[in-house]
Amino acid sequence: MRLILATAALAALAACSGANNASTSKNTTTTTTAVTAAPSPAPPGQVVKIGIDLPLSGGDASVGISTEQGALLAIDQAQKNMPHGYTLQGEALDDSVQGVHNPEQGVSNVRSFISDAAVLAVVGPYNSNVARAEIPVTNAAGLAQIGPSVVADNLTIGPDAAQLRRTNPSMNTFFRVCTTDSRQGSALAQFARSLGFKRTYIIDDNETYGLDLADRFEKDFTADGGTVLARDHLAKNTQDFKSLLLKVLAAKPDVVFFGGVTSTGGGLIRKQMFSVGLGKTAYMGGDGLADLGTVAAAQADGSYYTLAAPNAQKLPAARAFVKTYRAKYNADIGPYSANAYAAAQVAANAIIRAIGSSKGAIPARAAVVANVAATKLETPIGPISFDKYGDVTNPVLSLYGFKNGQPYFIRQIQLKL
Amino acid sequence: MHEFLAQLVNGISLGGIYALIALGYTMVYGIIGLINFAHGDVYTLGSFFALTILTALGVSGELHGVALVVDVAIALIGAALLCGIVGVLIERLAYRRLRNAPRLAPLITAIGISFILENVMQIWKGPAPVSFPAVVPNPSVMVAGVAIGAQQFLLVGLAVVMMVALQLFIHNTRLGRAMRATAEDRDAAQLMGININRTIMLTFLIGSALAGVAGFVSGVYYQSTWFFNGFGAGLKAFTAAVLGGIGNIAGAMLGGFLIGIIESFATWKFGGQWSNVTVFAILILVLVFRPSGLLGEAVFERA
Repeated sequence: MRLILATAALAALAACSGANNASTSKNTTTTTTAVTAAPSPAPPGQVVKIGIDLPLSGGDASVGISTEQGALLAIDQAQKNMPHGYTLQGEALDDSVQGVHNPEQGVSNVRSFISDAAVLAVVGPYNSNVARAEIPVTNAAGLAQIGPSVVADNLTIGPDAAQLRRTNPSMNTFFRVCTTDSRQGSALAQFARSLGFKRTYIIDDNETYGLDLADRFEKDFTADGGTVLARDHLAKNTQDFKSLLLKVLAAKPDVVFFGGVTSTGGGLIRKQMFSVGLGKTAYMGGDGLADLGTVAAAQADGSYYTLAAPNAQKLPAARAFVKTYRAKYNADIGPYSANAYAAAQVAANAIIRAIGSSKGAIPARAAVVANVAATKLETPIGPISFDKYGDVTNPVLSLYGFKNGQPYFIRQIQLKL
Repeated sequence: MHEFLAQLVNGISLGGIYALIALGYTMVYGIIGLINFAHGDVYTLGSFFALTILTALGVSGELHGVALVVDVAIALIGAALLCGIVGVLIERLAYRRLRNAPRLAPLITAIGISFILENVMQIWKGPAPVSFPAVVPNPSVMVAGVAIGAQQFLLVGLAVVMMVALQLFIHNTRLGRAMRATAEDRDAAQLMGININRTIMLTFLIGSALAGVAGFVSGVYYQSTWFFNGFGAGLKAFTAAVLGGIGNIAGAMLGGFLIGIIESFATWKFGGQWSNVTVFAILILVLVFRPSGLLGEAVFERA
């Protein structure tokens, strides 16, 4: 496995040196031809590919490889449904450079997929900043791309996303099977209200992720009949949150909501809640608080956080997948294995349907995109279909709490949109 | 009124930490005219040393009785001593050879040392905040409806005791007199037979040891530490030293408490994101309108 990855990485490096030399205009020309090329009948033994772009070495490798394995498993299993004469292959490229996921490397990986006419869809990337660099390229090429784990809001929605799709504005080529950052805010608001919390004090760390999360929580919590007592933003490089928490104490909230991550203040706020007398008040945030236990230890108890993905280990629909994965790779699934499996399933399914409607000929990439957009598929993470932006229409998130400083799974939250 | 008092108590506690750090800034500035930007990181290093010592002693929670006194003393003195040694090493390696260079040169090496310390600490304890055991029990007394914890008394008490001890040392001992003479006129002091290198070394030893004390008490008070804490705390302590009059021991103390109170009130009245803005706006106002600070340069005098 390692050897294959290494070779793939080398191939990617070789390909990228070539791709980087090619001018942008040249790339656009070749890719436009790919979009409009007339379908030709498939010769026997025709190979079609799903490209996989993930960080497979360095610090991200532990999650990257388990994600890759999820996608490869789906491609493997889709083989038996391929039309006669077709072989489906997964081709994985590493987007890490010197151990860190790298947007430029991601782009050159995607370019090498585009230049290979057999690649009909791409699964990946893992990271939002890599996706931001890749989406304009796959969009220009009209190649379907399905993200298993990229959660930044502005990849699909809003003016930023429109800017990413500027070459082919009428054609949305980017889809994702996970939900978005800010929807965690909605899920947390629903959960807070279901616990009977009426009054909240919202703090955020003044960074993009934290602000989006807190905005969404504020909006949904209010809409759901809750009261937002006040909203405060943190200053950078501070270790004293006690004066802020004295204000919170005076406001008497049922729950303190934090938009941000443990290291920007999320951990210290929880600890200092105890020293000002707020230790019994509940504390909530998004996946940025998932490592709260490492800072606050047992003081994390009474805190809750969400992940923007279902807990596949606990989903009834995922049981078979979890078992097969374990048997094949002799390891438990990673955090995004099930998502990658679902993403590759969506891609394979769209390719199969596109081949069907082209009467056995190799389908155009545009036809695959159209089929992905029209997806209605049962996957281990639930039924998947996409809205016009490429986001899933039934986002499932999972909710966790802390006991003795350790996170425990509470339940899945299916968002009402 | 109640909230005003609560914020005041919180501000004074926070100010105690700034004051301890500011003492080191002001001493070093007084004697060699250098703003030692690595000083904030020596403070963080102090909390790391204290944490390591406590872990080695097997302490993971509240202590009582003899164990409390003994273990806290070992951690406090150990952190202070180790920080003092680091301070002396920093002076020897990064500043001594540049003593007669243009003032910009040691300032830049100071920033370089700051980066080095931050990165060493990041490798040492990792990039995330680290938990610090709450060694000192924190029973509180109610004063006018505001709970004041034992840790807050300890923090402010230590800061005041350190400042008084430092004042007495500087004004009543031979070494203190040597420090004052060096600050006044380095060349003349050398002609009088004062060992300049040793005197400056002593200044760094004491200043950095005080930062070590601050590191220990902040660890106890916040029950956490982080490799990057020194950056923010150092800048605010520097502001405190300037506000009180850089080079002035009592001024550093006064400035430290004032900055703590101002930060606390700014958070209360204007919101958390404005606390830094308020503190640094004051730095600018002081530099523009009263560059010598509130108490001027009464102890160390430099041209």
